[in-house]
Amino acid sequence: MAKFRKASAETQFLRGETGVDGQATEEERDPAEVEAEKTKEQALRGGTYLGREFLTWLLWQSESSESILELEKEPLTVVFIDRLMVRALVGEVTEISAKGMAAPYALLVKQVMAGGLLVQQARLQLTLGERVFQLTLDAENLDVRGGKLPTLVAEEESERVDERLYLTELLSSAIDALVQKFVALRSTSEWKKTEVPQLQAWLRGEDKAGVSLLKTAARAKGR
Amino acid sequence: MPILRGAVTFTRFLVEHADDPPKDVRGWLTRALRSRAFEPLDRADEEDRSAGFVELENPESTEFAVGNLFQGERALFAFRVEQLKIPARVLKADLEKWVRAFEAEHGHSPKRHEKAEARERLRKKLRNRVDPSVKVTDLSWNLETQQLQLWATSKKLVEEIQALLEERLSLRLVPRSVAGVAREAKVDVESLAPTSALFGAEVGDGEV
Repeated sequence: MAKFRKASAETQFLRGETGVDGQATEEERDPAEVEAEKTKEQALRGGTYLGREFLTWLLWQSESSESILELEKEPLTVVFIDRLMVRALVGEVTEISAKGMAAPYALLVKQVMAGGLLVQQARLQLTLGERVFQLTLDAENLDVRGGKLPTLVAEEESERVDERLYLTELLSSAIDALVQKFVALRSTSEWKKTEVPQLQAWLRGEDKAGVSLLKTAARAKGR
Repeated sequence: MPILRGAVTFTRFLVEHADDPPKDVRGWLTRALRSRAFEPLDRADEEDRSAGFVELENPESTEFAVGNLFQGERALFAFRVEQLKIPARVLKADLEKWVRAFEAEHGHSPKRHEKAEARERLRKKLRNRVDPSVKVTDLSWNLETQQLQLWATSKKLVEEIQALLEERLSLRLVPRSVAGVAREAKVDVESLAPTSALFGAEVGDGEV
């Protein structure tokens, strides 16, 4: 057994795993440090952090009942509904999920976000004119999951497929238009000067002109 | 077929041609899909996986007749993956049974190479018995707006189809992420470092 241990130590030395003093050449990494690195890598991959900033900005913008922009001459309004997942770039708590009709706008959730956890995934309701869509968006690629389209009008099977594809493309264009609006703002100095301080004040619950939570929930329920 | 019914789940891309776009896009696309059409698995071959393009409404067909491939301004097709998966649990149980029979016959345990050979024989036997798993992913490509929707969100699958379309069809599929939209708007994405005031953390330029 002792011979085996000696051989094993020699092997470790020859592999460069230990030094002449028999001590490890590389310190074993702290699991918390490994997790922190992974969390950061997830946020930076493909610009995911931009997606998180976008969804957090959109949540703020969506609290009032006003439309965020116009698409095809129709107003586009957004409401966050049901589920919200926030993630941190660093810190002890890396992810928190909230559930409930008005959970995304709850002060408790805002306070969590004020602590640096931004929106990674959310369930949204987009209303374009009279058309209502629901979908889950993820910050990484903004791909559409579990989307519900407005009721189809066409009766013929081939026309229904056409209409369905048209609606999915319309939904995609609506997401693009929201992102374009965010990018136009995010790439100017106004972002840090005015938008971020206002957004932070809203997250801290200091926004006196804030819209009633019940009103937002009622708007979501009325879908 | 998720394109035709049910909840909608898809990954969004904008298509760009790496070279000049072909004049006859429809003819070119038909030929390109046929050249990378799905071929059923041949059990005589060593390959356990086969993947390629098929018609949307008939995943058994790789004809891509104009009437089946194009609907208005859109091209509708699918990506089919067939895979032979040998259940590890079954292989392990069969191997243990073989080991017991070997020990009873020879009075000693099989040598390492004997066990490896037996494992390979059993694997081949099981491979001939299992049915391949079949997965079909829909694609819709609007040839006018260049919006391409890949009706799946599995990262591995999406990346495989994206790579195939880019390599074989000389296309560039730009993801519709915030960074993708920013690049399209000629914004220097590298200059958009994380907003430290929101994340509560500083991220060095070199890390982005």
